[in-house]
Amino acid sequence: MEFKDYYATLGVEKTATAGDIKKAFRRLARKYHPDVSKEPDAAERMSAINEANTVLSDPEKRAAYDALGRRPPGQDFRPPPDWDAGFEFSGDESAPGQDEFSDFFANLFGRAARARRGADAASMRGGDHHAKVMIDLADAYHGATRAVTLRSARLDTQGHVVTEERTLDVTIPQGVRSGQHIRLRGQGAPGYGGGPAGDLYLEIEFRPDERYVVDGRDVTQRVPVAPWEAALGASIEVPTPSGPVEVTVPANSRSGRRLRLRGRGIPGAPPGDLYLELDLVLPPADTEAARELYRAMERETKFNPRQATERSR
Amino acid sequence: MIERTVQLLIDDDGLTLEELSSACAVSFEWIERHVESGMLDVAAAGTMRFTSVQLLRARRLAEIERTFEANDELAALVVDLIEEVEKLRGRRRP
Repeated sequence: MEFKDYYATLGVEKTATAGDIKKAFRRLARKYHPDVSKEPDAAERMSAINEANTVLSDPEKRAAYDALGRRPPGQDFRPPPDWDAGFEFSGDESAPGQDEFSDFFANLFGRAARARRGADAASMRGGDHHAKVMIDLADAYHGATRAVTLRSARLDTQGHVVTEERTLDVTIPQGVRSGQHIRLRGQGAPGYGGGPAGDLYLEIEFRPDERYVVDGRDVTQRVPVAPWEAALGASIEVPTPSGPVEVTVPANSRSGRRLRLRGRGIPGAPPGDLYLELDLVLPPADTEAARELYRAMERETKFNPRQATERSR
Repeated sequence: MIERTVQLLIDDDGLTLEELSSACAVSFEWIERHVESGMLDVAAAGTMRFTSVQLLRARRLAEIERTFEANDELAALVVDLIEEVEKLRGRRRP
């Protein structure tokens, strides 16, 4: 397993006081809070910060960790036998997320360490895990099956943690909304001492798609239209998440006009609505003929788009 | 190898007090306190069942309280703001 430099993770010196560590942890927790941060790897960073803080903010764990000495981060590492003799870690197994910490943590302070010390006599249910699944909006319309790959830790016969990947087939039900959770019984952390495994909660999130804005079961879809379609009215075919639909664009439509298609949002009881938002797209003036058409419109229509604003001055 | 497993959409019947407590690693008392003070809703009045939205909210509340040693009200204010930002970001196209 890889050696983890917890001081470097928190950006503090080895001589840092408990106050320094707390300050550094909170500053980084603000920066990498997954709900707020725009950093792409915020969730992983947050987990690493939590792990470092769990060790360094606990005087017993910190003393035992310091006794290992310092090594280059990432170096392959095996703890010396009985490295933790003389240290008594108070159990804070209730702190969430520990099942998702690194192998390094698990072997030194986590379940592997407790198992070796024989502290796991009592049977206990494994922790619940949480993960996100990104799906396309179309999956909510039709339902889908997604293979979800999870990394999970297991104890080998020597009591060391080994990480293994497993793939679960997850059924995404039709009508699912962003923010809903699917619960998979027994797919969380394994139990201790014969206790049952925890559950896995998968949070559904729609993959960002610039064509759609989703609010509950209602979907707004942007539909590009040509100026003559908006001005004269037209019958156009629109590819919607539930299939192509023939839509009438009323004459004299402005850009941003919303047309409601009742019941064509995300399926459910009742289903949501689909709003088509007209997006006026101008043909490029990239040929002499096109430029002449624009000039003719300018001459013939005497159109002033700022008339209303000029009047109000 | 692909495993098949029992799957439930939480909102079909909601989480019980025990399930929410385990999913968020919080005590029953913590949940009851937050429900009584209106910081956490229940699926339907008079029940102790919780939807997906409430699961996410409870996890966020617990996590903010733990990370920043924040009191309940401050954590609830932060989570209100996170939910608002999420809503606004969802309305904006990527």
